[in-house]
Amino acid sequence: MLAAVFVWPVATSVTASFTREGAFSLANYETVWRLYTRDVVYTLGVATAATLLTFAATVPVCGWLRVRAFGPVEFLLKVPLFVPFVVVGHALRVFLSPYAPGLSASWGGLALALAWKHAGLAALLLLGAFRGVDEHYLEAARNVGASTARLTRDILLPMAAPAVGVSAVLIFSSMLASFSIPLMMSRGSGPQMLMIDVYYRFGQHGDFATASALGVVAYLMALGAAFVYLRRLTA
Amino acid sequence: MKALVLRAAALAAAAFVIVGPLTSLAVWSLAERWTYPSPWPQRFGLRYWARVLGGDFLEPLRTGLGIAVLVTVLALLLAIPLGYALARLRFPGRTLVLLLFLLPQAFPQLPVFASATREFYRFGLAGTVSGVVLVHLVGALVFAVWTMTAVFRSIAPELEEAAHDLGASTTRAFASVSLPLALPGIVASAVLVFLYSLDEFTGTLLVGAPFVSTLPVYMYTASVGYELQIASVTALVLMVPGAVLLLLLERFLKSEYLVLLGRL
Repeated sequence: MLAAVFVWPVATSVTASFTREGAFSLANYETVWRLYTRDVVYTLGVATAATLLTFAATVPVCGWLRVRAFGPVEFLLKVPLFVPFVVVGHALRVFLSPYAPGLSASWGGLALALAWKHAGLAALLLLGAFRGVDEHYLEAARNVGASTARLTRDILLPMAAPAVGVSAVLIFSSMLASFSIPLMMSRGSGPQMLMIDVYYRFGQHGDFATASALGVVAYLMALGAAFVYLRRLTA
Repeated sequence: MKALVLRAAALAAAAFVIVGPLTSLAVWSLAERWTYPSPWPQRFGLRYWARVLGGDFLEPLRTGLGIAVLVTVLALLLAIPLGYALARLRFPGRTLVLLLFLLPQAFPQLPVFASATREFYRFGLAGTVSGVVLVHLVGALVFAVWTMTAVFRSIAPELEEAAHDLGASTTRAFASVSLPLALPGIVASAVLVFLYSLDEFTGTLLVGAPFVSTLPVYMYTASVGYELQIASVTALVLMVPGAVLLLLLERFLKSEYLVLLGRL
């Protein structure tokens, strides 16, 4: 089942990306290089900015929550996990610019929306990792006068570093492949997220070969990230 | 005192950031007239709620629910034996199978779905409910197989061995010992899969177009047509199952399952 609906499509798209007019060719990748280099850079940039934003917001809050538990804030942080991607895209669009596309259509607005959605997952993973840190270390540091911010920066973060790294990779690769949020934020012109390009290339131009080549570029970017993730998971 | 102020400030900030965007959905869903540059809708009313609930979206809602039920049943039928096998039996390629079920998580889905859509055209599956069910099953199986494997792993094999010693066959031991013990996990898995299917957008948009529409697709269509009120009403409706699940999980379930939700 999975083979038919997942592995086979991956295989055909990889094959199609190397084929033009029935023969082996790199022409599709040449098209990608010519038309979409800017979008690849843009996608990497937005995903990086959004990942940094996610962790810049959640690390201090989760550190604080680890040191002094506070239910209501923890509950609120989990909320984005339960809001579907499409809804997040639309909600952030009307929140950031209620009328004509303004901030919501900029890369900053997109990064904000992606960070909003992924904050729930990040908080969950971070809190899990922070709660795994032995209380004794925190007590020892507190006895010599460390504040919550110091505890987060100098004890929680370094000790939970592997888990934080895995979370970051997971979130980064999910952002690279995000489709519904950028689609709902409705950005008309200028550089696009890679998945939007794949969608239009396939859906409107009917150009499966180039869409596949774009897809392969995305697979490779995700694979780089997933490699780290899987190694941690099986280790 | 200082701690109290800090707590209040943290709560206010979190509430603004998290609840703010959701509130603006509510405002838009009630705005009958809202034009630039007014900072607030000029006229409030329930007209769009009435229009949406009055019929427009019943069709996609029904389609979506039907698909979600089918996907949940099929995914569990496949995942219960598979999860059991992965948890209990040592067979060659076991790790490989587990990894295979992790791949769709790590891979960008859209290019895969685009390719699947093209294959589906050849078999007349594109634009049909069966096609959408198939594409939902990819994601659903990932959720279901991983949760079911975890659930069966948490049940001690000694219990089944005891049943064997008392003369029960393998099937009997499974059906009357492991299966009832796994029931809470099966329910959790079913809820996750059901919600995943209900909220799934990308695969439905590609495979289902133009004949099969579920609520997320309906919402996207409304938003593209600048019917922001319609889209906002639908968005609020789409949040209901998630909200119910959040409250249920807070009360009953382990947080391990939550991680899977990051992919919804």
